[in-house]
Amino acid sequence: MEEFFQQLTNGLAVGGIYALIALGYTMVYGVLKLINFAHGDLFTLGAYLGLTLLTSLGLSGRLGPLLGLLLLAVLVMGFVALTGALLERAAYRPLRQSPRLSAVVSALGASIFLQNTIMLIYGARIHVYPQDILPKVAIEIGGLSIPLVRILVFVVSLLLMGALFLFIQRTRLGTAIRAAAIDQAAARLMGINVDQVILIVFLIGPGLGGVAGLLVGLYYGQVNFTMGWVYGLKAFTAAILGGIGNIPGAMVGGLILGVIEALGAAYISVAWKDAIAFFVLIVILIVRPTGLLGERVADKI
Amino acid sequence: MKKSLVLGLTLVLALAGAGLCLAAPIKIGLMAPVTGSWASEGEDMKNIVNLLAEEVNAQGGLLGQSVQVVLVDDAGDPRTASLAAQRLATQGIKAVVGTYGSSVTEASQGIYDENSILQIANGSTAIRLTEKGLKYFFRTCPRDDEQGRVAAQTIQKMGFKKVAILHDNTSYAKGLADEGNALLKKDGIEIVFFDALTPGERDFNAILTKLKAAKPDVVFFTGYFPELGLILRQKKEMNWPVPFIGGDATNNPDLVKIAGKDAAEGYYFLSPPVPQDLPYEKTKAFLKAYIAKHGAAPGSIWAVLAGDGFLTVTEAIKATKSTDPAKLAEFLHGGQHKISGLTGDISFNAKGDRVGEVYRVYRVDAEGNFVLQAK
Repeated sequence: MEEFFQQLTNGLAVGGIYALIALGYTMVYGVLKLINFAHGDLFTLGAYLGLTLLTSLGLSGRLGPLLGLLLLAVLVMGFVALTGALLERAAYRPLRQSPRLSAVVSALGASIFLQNTIMLIYGARIHVYPQDILPKVAIEIGGLSIPLVRILVFVVSLLLMGALFLFIQRTRLGTAIRAAAIDQAAARLMGINVDQVILIVFLIGPGLGGVAGLLVGLYYGQVNFTMGWVYGLKAFTAAILGGIGNIPGAMVGGLILGVIEALGAAYISVAWKDAIAFFVLIVILIVRPTGLLGERVADKI
Repeated sequence: MKKSLVLGLTLVLALAGAGLCLAAPIKIGLMAPVTGSWASEGEDMKNIVNLLAEEVNAQGGLLGQSVQVVLVDDAGDPRTASLAAQRLATQGIKAVVGTYGSSVTEASQGIYDENSILQIANGSTAIRLTEKGLKYFFRTCPRDDEQGRVAAQTIQKMGFKKVAILHDNTSYAKGLADEGNALLKKDGIEIVFFDALTPGERDFNAILTKLKAAKPDVVFFTGYFPELGLILRQKKEMNWPVPFIGGDATNNPDLVKIAGKDAAEGYYFLSPPVPQDLPYEKTKAFLKAYIAKHGAAPGSIWAVLAGDGFLTVTEAIKATKSTDPAKLAEFLHGGQHKISGLTGDISFNAKGDRVGEVYRVYRVDAEGNFVLQAK
């Protein structure tokens, strides 16, 4: 039983990160019906920017670990959000009226471009976060020993998801996003500035992805320029699992995927854990083709 | 008309070539990845073999003739290698040193064997290369199963009774894991865990939790250093003090960077010795001359083993007083020889594999240095 709960906490922390990245996929899909393949690389960018800011500004040294990291997270979020908006402007907006496949190809191109840019700037070798930012303490709860960083990762991702949920459900802008997701043309007729909505989606999604990158850097300590691929793939899976285009779906999907992986590795086979996760995905899609919380059928791509 | 012209030209060239061969020094081929992703290895191989050739020539050459190294680039690519081998085969070369990658060597093996050219590979550790019964093929590097054997031996010697084995499903890591698994089981050691991780991932907490539940005395990891660095770090965060022992793919200074010094401390791995750790006087003198000429020591042991390939050829020529590849191969297969190389004494078995142990045990100390352990 102890092992079960240990694995559960492993899975929830990983799942929280999947969920944060999955939100970026699902929000863009919701509004534009486009899979932003460059999203995984924006996540990588967040991890590298975090490393650069952390080592060059020395924030945690000057402001103390908590305040320093908070400021760091806000900076990373801002930078990656701006990059996301730029990406939308450069790679997607010119293709807004083109066939959907053109935008997908453009997304793949943007992904390759971002990945190689990061490699050229930082080099192909593995980079390592400084080790002394967060105290290495484990918290003992009922025989379980959970590292503080793991709790932090989970709590931060929950807080961000909660904030996003409130924003989408309770504010005028959030309502506008939901409206644009349901029917762009009708939303435009109701006086909603759809271009602005898309811009906001491309600020929020990449911003969350960037923070996820920073969390991964802090948690695991190691970043390399290809890391966006694995996380992007898993988060994309999580988004589909929860129902792509559905924001609570991405959150639930991410957490479930993380937990399935951890438990699958623990009780079935470590080598087969990805296969198990995808098997569960297939079963869920057979029973509910729109994903767990999805309402619409994802008909294209 | 044209045909006869081409024929005539070919004849003239062939005669000229033959004429050159008679008058020329003894030519020894070197096939190395001078370009491509292994270029740093190829560069070292070239420098080492050239320096050794200079030394031989300074001492009066071989059988009264001087030695000339003919370098061809295999670019670390099997197709380029087969072309390179054909080029060397048409130049009247009797022996070739190289190359590094197993698949690259494999693409050239048959060509050399058909042309009766002696080949001495330096970095190709895949087992099957010497299982084909090729008469002219030798290698100065150990085989992958040798590493498995030394690993099993080391684990036993350290007194561990319950072993967990973790690989990453690449052919190298899986092969080493299978080899270790079979040998340890045969010696009555209990394998409590045998599974693979996914390379490229970051979170190994699930695997570590499962490993921990299996209660091993030691974990034998056969994969590569980026994953191992994260594993050691996450193991430290779990406060699990089990020792880890790994294969030569974890021999990389970045390992300590990723894991952190306190998490990497106490990690054991098997590897051929790094060049600076070779204990022989002859090697130390050679490395000194090498550093004086090129500014830095060779990066890995594999390039030094190319030097050993060259020494094998020259010593065999000296001993047999012949450059006939058949005689040289017979001499080397005979096992009666003991050639003094840069990595110790060199002798070969009937398959062309090097006899003797090359693998050493290293341990990471508190400062993150790789320290050679006494045998």
